[in-house]
Amino acid sequence: MRGADYVIKRTAFAVITVFVAVTINFALFRLAPGSAISNLSRVPHATQELREALKREFGLDKSKGAQYAIYLKQLAHGNLGVSFENQQPVSHNLWEALKNTLPMVLLGTVFAIVFGTLTGVIAAWRRGTALEGATVTTALGFYSMPTHWLGLMLVILFTGVLPTGGMANDFLINPSFWTHLKDVLSHMVLPSLTLGLVLYGEYTLIVRSAMLETLGEDYILTARAKGLKPWAIVRKHALRNAMLPIATLVALSLGYIVAGAILIETVFSWPGIGRAVYDAVLQRDYPMLQGAFLLLTISVVFFNLVADLLYFKLDPRITT
Amino acid sequence: MSVVLNEPGFLVDPEPVRSRGGFVWQTIRRRPSATIGIVLLSLVIVGALLAPWVAPYGLHTRVGPVFGHPSWSHPLGLDDGGIDMLTLLMWGARISLVVGFAATLVSMLIGGTIGVLAGYFGGKTDVVLMRITDYFLVIPDVPLMIVVAAIWGPSLFHIVIVIGILLWTSTARVIRAQVKSVRERVYVKRARSLGAGHTRIVLRHVLPQVAPLLIANTVLTIAVAIFDETALSFLGLGDPSRISLGKVIENAFQRAAISSGAWWAIVPPGALVAVIILSCSLVGGALEDALNPRLRVAHLSARTFRLRPLVGRGAESL
Amino acid sequence: MKKRWLSALILGMAALAVVAFASTAGGSSSKSGGTFRVGSSSGIDSLNPYVAFNQDAYSTFQYIYPILVQYDRTNVRFAPFFAKSWKASNGGKTWTFKTVANAKWSDGKPLTAADAAWTINTDIKYQTGGAANVAGLIAHIIRAEAPNPTTLIVHYKQAAGNVLGQFQQFFILPKHIWSKHTGHKGADLKTFPNSAPIVGSGPFKLVKYQKNEIALFQRNDSYWGTKPQVDTFGLRMFSNDDAMISALKAHEIDAIETVPATAIKTLKNAGFTISNVPGLDQTDFIFNSNPKKKKHRELLNLKLKEAFAHSIDRAQIIQVVFLGTAQPASSIVPAPTGSWHNPSLKPETFDLGLANKLLDKLGYKRGSGGIRVANGHKMVYDVIAPTDVHSIPRTFQIIQADFKKIGVQLRQKALDSSAAFDLMSGPNGKYLNFDLAMWDWTSLIDPDFMLSVVTCAQYGGWSDTGYCNKRYDRMYAQQQLTPDQNKRRAIVWKMQKYLYDQRPYIWLANDNAVSAVSSKWDGFTNTPQGPFNELSILSLTSVHQK
Repeated sequence: MRGADYVIKRTAFAVITVFVAVTINFALFRLAPGSAISNLSRVPHATQELREALKREFGLDKSKGAQYAIYLKQLAHGNLGVSFENQQPVSHNLWEALKNTLPMVLLGTVFAIVFGTLTGVIAAWRRGTALEGATVTTALGFYSMPTHWLGLMLVILFTGVLPTGGMANDFLINPSFWTHLKDVLSHMVLPSLTLGLVLYGEYTLIVRSAMLETLGEDYILTARAKGLKPWAIVRKHALRNAMLPIATLVALSLGYIVAGAILIETVFSWPGIGRAVYDAVLQRDYPMLQGAFLLLTISVVFFNLVADLLYFKLDPRITT
Repeated sequence: MSVVLNEPGFLVDPEPVRSRGGFVWQTIRRRPSATIGIVLLSLVIVGALLAPWVAPYGLHTRVGPVFGHPSWSHPLGLDDGGIDMLTLLMWGARISLVVGFAATLVSMLIGGTIGVLAGYFGGKTDVVLMRITDYFLVIPDVPLMIVVAAIWGPSLFHIVIVIGILLWTSTARVIRAQVKSVRERVYVKRARSLGAGHTRIVLRHVLPQVAPLLIANTVLTIAVAIFDETALSFLGLGDPSRISLGKVIENAFQRAAISSGAWWAIVPPGALVAVIILSCSLVGGALEDALNPRLRVAHLSARTFRLRPLVGRGAESL
Repeated sequence: MKKRWLSALILGMAALAVVAFASTAGGSSSKSGGTFRVGSSSGIDSLNPYVAFNQDAYSTFQYIYPILVQYDRTNVRFAPFFAKSWKASNGGKTWTFKTVANAKWSDGKPLTAADAAWTINTDIKYQTGGAANVAGLIAHIIRAEAPNPTTLIVHYKQAAGNVLGQFQQFFILPKHIWSKHTGHKGADLKTFPNSAPIVGSGPFKLVKYQKNEIALFQRNDSYWGTKPQVDTFGLRMFSNDDAMISALKAHEIDAIETVPATAIKTLKNAGFTISNVPGLDQTDFIFNSNPKKKKHRELLNLKLKEAFAHSIDRAQIIQVVFLGTAQPASSIVPAPTGSWHNPSLKPETFDLGLANKLLDKLGYKRGSGGIRVANGHKMVYDVIAPTDVHSIPRTFQIIQADFKKIGVQLRQKALDSSAAFDLMSGPNGKYLNFDLAMWDWTSLIDPDFMLSVVTCAQYGGWSDTGYCNKRYDRMYAQQQLTPDQNKRRAIVWKMQKYLYDQRPYIWLANDNAVSAVSSKWDGFTNTPQGPFNELSILSLTSVHQK
């Protein structure tokens, strides 16, 4: 029973947070100086009628309150509206951008989880050795580099070896499946690696300290006294317990990664969600911005909720 | 948002404040990494402070061709305006540090206030303030910074404010937890029963206890703020009249420095940012470790490594 | 990275033709076929002509839709395209075009003068709604008719001065496709995605399009003109120059439209052919010239404007910002428009001594810090500078340093274009508040548009100067209604001189169009608008492997 209460409470909080976010996002964009109308009506010989027509078309002639009501009503029907800029449904534009961002981000994240966990565990286990020193130094180094700068360094290093811009060589005419796969992957290497290395730094440090805490616990000492093999201790006891904070952290970070991919997308000319948001800002494309923020907010809230519930499942002692 | 893996509020030992400070200092001295961090950070700060006197050339003086090669008189070459890179680095570090400190101050003020209020009063105040904190936690921060900087105009002031406004959540949560635990201490309870006002209790008893952790948090926040400024500048949203390290990178990137072979216009400024962030992390991490007995075993604790904006915040939940 | 605002200006130049030349351009040793791959750092914003703003979008339409006329090889004179010949009658109020016979749309349906008439009439009908984007092109037209498949007759309210200049930008759409999308009082014209493959009738068919990634064109074998030599042509979009240049070096693409000045040397050394021709883009320094402006009214003084103009070191700007790939600019109508440009207008000399003398004469004495005082306040001004024009920050730094020497302090106020324009035109399109600004304009070949941006009618529209002058407006109207192009030119020159003296703008630098192409290809012809342009279809019909 207590479990169900907990789940309901958490979910309710998540829904409230999303609603607050929707409202604040709406206000944020409507208060901004610079309007979509002055942008869009700037065509040669634009007339006052055109500006009025555009205002009506976008519903900007109504009061802010009425605009908000209309927006909520649309949302309730699952309609994110129509982009001011290219007149296509916002959901369509968002999906176009998101489907480019996701594979690159996933590859980088998987890289970071696998190698971050590995080196984190090794560093904790080989505490006090030169190996730990090297691992921690490397991780801290990657953690400290500005993301876009790391990307640029990879560009400088790998120009001519790997593609440094775009998602694929779009000019391969009717490539075989393998050629196409090879091409796509080769374009994905550098952007994913940039993301992966930054995350790698973070994950290594986190896994290491989570492991260190666990390794200090009494039951580990007991296991050790019982003469269990070191690797068995790590695998059976320490890692399992350390997985708790690790899994939570990974879930938490996933929601933000997508939002933050814009720096990498800029460096590698990747046509993803970050660039879509950036363009929408310049165009004052409110429906697009609201849609993007809603999507990103929901994904963050969702992964937070997942983290909460995950944590609850793994450690039922938690009450709030 | 609400996962609290281990509330960092368990100051077990009710030691007097003063000796705690000494203890912090000792811990830092004992850790080589913290010493390295302090030395590096001091070097950067001194170089930045002295820029007006020791920078080899003028910040706006064209001393050679666009993207001039490194030479004896210009060891780091020239940028896309023919300006000496070494000079730019010194002045750039100045602006980056100013943004870092100012934005952190803003976030400390907001986060500290909200954390103290929520933790001290608890109940409804706590719930409301923490929901607000939740919102700021889930809002996609890089896109939001872009929106604000683009729409309100990229001035240094706006950048400081927007970064400050987005960074306070971690401070608020850490402080709140700390205050909660302090509030239950015997001497605070006693003070309350003796009729001391809220303001007095907070100022006299709670704040001094919380201060060391606030300092640790500050150092870490500075790193994130500098990172944020660099990112915003890279996206063309930096203040064009203030040359920060991020702006130096952006200027070079905008003029296709890599294709022109001018690596010297991009590598050093980014490396310097990395050094600043690294040293802040080392110092802040050591401080936090020292203040958190349970983590003393694990130098460089998980909590220290708050997720960066690229990846998100949320590490305060750890 | 062409500024969107400006490229929007370019709204449509189309055409091309030059069909006649295309066939001779190829030389005997040329190989036909192959895929020609071009990199672009701007991109197509929409494939719908009623929505699109960017130059790449209009250049795309240039190659897939029929257009009545185009520019010839000189890029300033008109040549036949879908219209084989034309004549004006009824005192210039009626224009009759003879169009190509037996032409077909890419889906096999016949393309006739009726399609042209339908497009014109539809645009007139919905000019304040769905067709507003193209309303400027059909101004003064009453209606169009097609008495037979090869005759188009257009009726004007008054004899117009730039009929061909407007039709050169006018894309004829397939009636059988678009007539289904005029619902909601024409609003549907804008929501029709017009996605690839598009039914068109030009030398190429657009077969694939992914936003911010690629536009792929195939040779249109049912095209009625001279066919391109390549089988396929593609435009690949990049968000930054470094990525684009490195793709060129890796031979992932064969050419790039716009080469940043800093990369020219590297690309030359790597064996690429660089083409560098005077372009249509000019940077400018703007005075708020609204006679009703409230503060800092000394900035309306023509002598002060003259002093400022003499304090601008164009040579240094061109050397540092453009690395020599620009020309000093002097007139609202840039030199590459050919004879429309008034050649008697020279850029002001860079002469700080003269500038100081002029300001001294005006009685602006130097106060503390060497800054002059005018009307009781220090001469310290904000200069609004849009962040999306990348040449501005460096240009501003140069101007700022020189202005300090004449006792005037400038402060850069950076904003993105939307916010910058709002601030300049505010409040409510009255231009009362701002002092100075910097921006750029991309001119068309025909001068009508550039001349229009300083008319009173453009308040809240294209005006970025707040300039409003009855005498100038009269001259503007007069040139619009002067069909004799020699007489019209005389008026256009007079207008340029007038603006030169009134100085709503100080023109700074006229940026070159610089493109790069691999040594394996030939015939990718550069123009003032770059090789992938809205002037003609020459470059991509003549491009071929060596």
